[in-house]
Amino acid sequence: MRMRSLGAAMLSLVLLGGLAAWGARAPAAAAPPDPPARSYYVYVCAESEDEVALVRYGPGGAEVVKTITVGSYPNEIEGPHGINVDPDGRHWYVSIAHGVPFGSVHKYETGTDEWVADVTLGLFPATLDVSPATGLLYAVNFNLHGGMEPSSISAVEVETMVEVARIDTGIMPHGSRLSRDGTRHYSVNMMGGDLVELDALGFRIERRLPLGDGVQPTWVTTPTEAGLVYVTGNNVARVFEVDLRTWRILRTFETGAGPYNLDVTPDGATLVATYKNGDAVGFWDLAGGRERARVSTTRTIPHGVAITPDGEYAFVTLEGVGGDPGTVEVYHVPTAERVGAVDIGKQAGGIAFWKMEG
Amino acid sequence: MAVASSCAALLLACAALVTSGQEDESPVGLTIEVDQEALTLEIGETAQLSATVRDAGGAVVDDARVVYYSRARRSVSVTRTGRVEAYRPGEFTLIALVPSNPGDRSRRPDARALVEIPVTVPLPPIAEVAFTEVPDVFFAGTRPRLDVAVTDTVGARRADVPVTFATSDPAVATLDRFGFLALLDTGTVTVTAAVAAERDALTIEVVENPVTSLVLEVGADMARTGDVLRFTAVAADAGGREVPGVPVRFAVGGETAPAIVAAGAPAQIDADGRFVAERSGTYTVIATAGTHTAARTVAIEPRDVARDVEVVGRGKVLDRRSSDLWVWEGTDGRDYAITGTWGADGHTYFWDVTDPANIEKVNEVQVDARTVNDVKVSADGELAVISREGASNRRNGFVVLGAGNPREGVPVLSEFTNQLTGGVHNLFVDGDHVYALSAGRRYDIVNIADPRNPERVGRFELETQGHSVHDVWVSDGIAFSSNWSDGVVAVDVGGGGRGGTPERPVELGRYAYPNGWNHAAFPYRSQSTGKFYLFAGDEAYPYGGLANEAEDAQLPFRTAGWIHVIDWSDWDDPQEVARYQVPEAGSHNIWVEDDIMYVGFYYPGGLRVVDVSGELMGDLYRQGREIARFVPFDPEGFAPNAPFVWGPQPYKGHIFFTDYNSGLWAVRLEEKTGPGRVIGEPQ
Repeated sequence: MRMRSLGAAMLSLVLLGGLAAWGARAPAAAAPPDPPARSYYVYVCAESEDEVALVRYGPGGAEVVKTITVGSYPNEIEGPHGINVDPDGRHWYVSIAHGVPFGSVHKYETGTDEWVADVTLGLFPATLDVSPATGLLYAVNFNLHGGMEPSSISAVEVETMVEVARIDTGIMPHGSRLSRDGTRHYSVNMMGGDLVELDALGFRIERRLPLGDGVQPTWVTTPTEAGLVYVTGNNVARVFEVDLRTWRILRTFETGAGPYNLDVTPDGATLVATYKNGDAVGFWDLAGGRERARVSTTRTIPHGVAITPDGEYAFVTLEGVGGDPGTVEVYHVPTAERVGAVDIGKQAGGIAFWKMEG
Repeated sequence: MAVASSCAALLLACAALVTSGQEDESPVGLTIEVDQEALTLEIGETAQLSATVRDAGGAVVDDARVVYYSRARRSVSVTRTGRVEAYRPGEFTLIALVPSNPGDRSRRPDARALVEIPVTVPLPPIAEVAFTEVPDVFFAGTRPRLDVAVTDTVGARRADVPVTFATSDPAVATLDRFGFLALLDTGTVTVTAAVAAERDALTIEVVENPVTSLVLEVGADMARTGDVLRFTAVAADAGGREVPGVPVRFAVGGETAPAIVAAGAPAQIDADGRFVAERSGTYTVIATAGTHTAARTVAIEPRDVARDVEVVGRGKVLDRRSSDLWVWEGTDGRDYAITGTWGADGHTYFWDVTDPANIEKVNEVQVDARTVNDVKVSADGELAVISREGASNRRNGFVVLGAGNPREGVPVLSEFTNQLTGGVHNLFVDGDHVYALSAGRRYDIVNIADPRNPERVGRFELETQGHSVHDVWVSDGIAFSSNWSDGVVAVDVGGGGRGGTPERPVELGRYAYPNGWNHAAFPYRSQSTGKFYLFAGDEAYPYGGLANEAEDAQLPFRTAGWIHVIDWSDWDDPQEVARYQVPEAGSHNIWVEDDIMYVGFYYPGGLRVVDVSGELMGDLYRQGREIARFVPFDPEGFAPNAPFVWGPQPYKGHIFFTDYNSGLWAVRLEEKTGPGRVIGEPQ
């Protein structure tokens, strides 16, 4: 009986969320934003080009500042997938999905973009994040090769680039984000249908939250200051709001098709979602639980999203198909207006914010 | 309560430092101490670490969180509570650290209180020393070698410890530090080998040497460079009877042809008497058995197989990179080639190559992929199967095409992605089955008897740690996979005689070589000798990282690797007997036919055509076996003048190959009308 009541409540929330979203598809009418006074830098993976592009959006628009070739085998596409910048800002890390057979994470120096070191991890390491508390890097070994075998999360000491722990988690783990204090790690198991909380200091799974029968989650956000994370239900076109304190789903939002990656503005007010199957980006007002804007992308298969620390802009990657270049689009978050775009190598995917200037 | 409060305050204020050592003080006074300054553990031994965290005033922070980890967790582990266990010998480091200010996102690498605990796990003691492969008989005056096996307490064979040898009677026998036994006189002597307190003793009887003559024979006294001559030495007694068990050692010396100066080591002879010369000249082989010697001299002439290459035709692909090819006779009687594309948009091209001088592109297929790395055609020419990587939906697998008459059309019959989602890098078609790589981890065997409904029927995967597979090739019911550091693995899938089938593959044998670069394999039975050779190709980039500038990304790669020739006449006893190593470039794909090997090399190696007739031994490149070389420069190539021959295929008198940056080529060897051209100096 209790379960039924909860289920009914959940359904109501879903419907409410969906209706709210449906009524707010168009971008909010607002004056076009002024060009930024600052310059914003992001690192972006071109997964089928074995490149990382450094993209700047500033007063002059969006541009590729530099392209860095990554990987170890020039005649094999190794697939840079996940990328992140160390909280200290000195280095960036990129996961290289394919190897012989294991993938790896490579460390580069920001600014010079010189390669520093690498470490071999599991099959298809994907999303990664670095703990500000310990300096340890956590990468999920996605293993998308189709065998549906349980995989793992790797912990890496970045000073030495040594894997110091590997924790079994579930089938096709993806989305790797640490709590703000760096002590908890969150990921989802795409074919296991659950959200996973890892004690990042003790290398032990603490909690699992099933997201529903058949749900295939692909992403979890960095927890907000209010202790909430947002999780995609990629195949059911939903985003789940999870309260970390109670470890329960609070709200469910009906989204565009194939919500894939998410990011939340630092103030916790806006969620930006890429709709991989819908070729659109959704802007969600989290207080009201409604999609205030949905904007079609200029190229197919939206993938990653990174919001600037001032909450002004969202950088979105578009994979494209076949020989299409990848694209990085820049959206003004308050108005949900696309304010810039630039092409990079094929299959733009993982993206990480580096710095602001000016 | 007071301690808890101070702990919280510390964690918020901490900006501690990192240094190694037993006790470190942060700028704000946070310290961590570990009760064990260093550990020495035997394998299997455990220990418990206990850490103490103090605040700036020196007060102990009782509930401070300490993170433990090992920088070599497979050799020595540490649990979250600080329990340590040693697994392997060596010098290792454990870490105990206190997380830094949890709210400070501006962490610096040195912003933690951290100590390193060095751990020494000594090599285990030696458990056993034993003589192995002891000869049946010891003759005075000979110099046999004794092998010794040293094993430690965990069962590992050890080659890192010096063995001390001694004999009980130096007048009868002495032993040098390499284990060579000098048998000086007849008598009984005890030979000992010792490591620390462990030793083995072997009592041997040195008998009178009955040999009164040593005869050295060879099948021919004249040959070409690269020809293997077999020398046999027969030791006989006074009655002319052969004396078995007499150790015979061979050596070779001689003179190269006058035009060859400072040739290095121009010839070699193995312990079994097989001789081969790399340079022309006159060589004398000397056999020694005790105090007896015998010598034979042979003359070696240049091999003189070089021929020129003529470009016959091209199927240019200049707007994208090309990958593999296959050439076959279509069901309409015309000849076709299929070529894949790499890092592009999923195109596969079909060419009419009936007239190689007028290659015509007759069809193309585009699938959802960035790379079509491999293309294969069924033996009946009806089906083509292409691999996919970089599919937009991340469901790669392979695609089956109707290829019976490419000029009329190439319908997509099916695509198979089940459990092959991460990308199929290479595949092979044999009969009704596709052998498709999955995840670089294994190969799946998929039945395409109904090409519109492929069905997985089998799978083969190694069990070694970190195993990986790059390619698979099937010949006469045996699948040969190329497995990087695991080398080549032969698997019976119907023709190996051990009951294997595609549904139930049975391993026949495996051979791994030290460099770990095994990338391709081509099985071949020598027409001239009947020997079964496996030609195993490397792919390697050992010369450092890639250019970081985008404009440099088109530069040719710096590569290494060569072709390993393995005599695999006995599945249980593969022997690597020869190599073909081009000094200036690394190898890629191989084809062998009619005792000629065709190899694609990275820039600037180009296409190499090599005479592999006869028995193979030693360095084929230096033996002058190279028939031809051709480097396909194209200033209009996708990367201009950056040749990289992906793979060759001889077909109906021509050599077809794909070049990474310029597409399909057809060349042929020109007739040899006289002595071959000389590059450098004569062989």
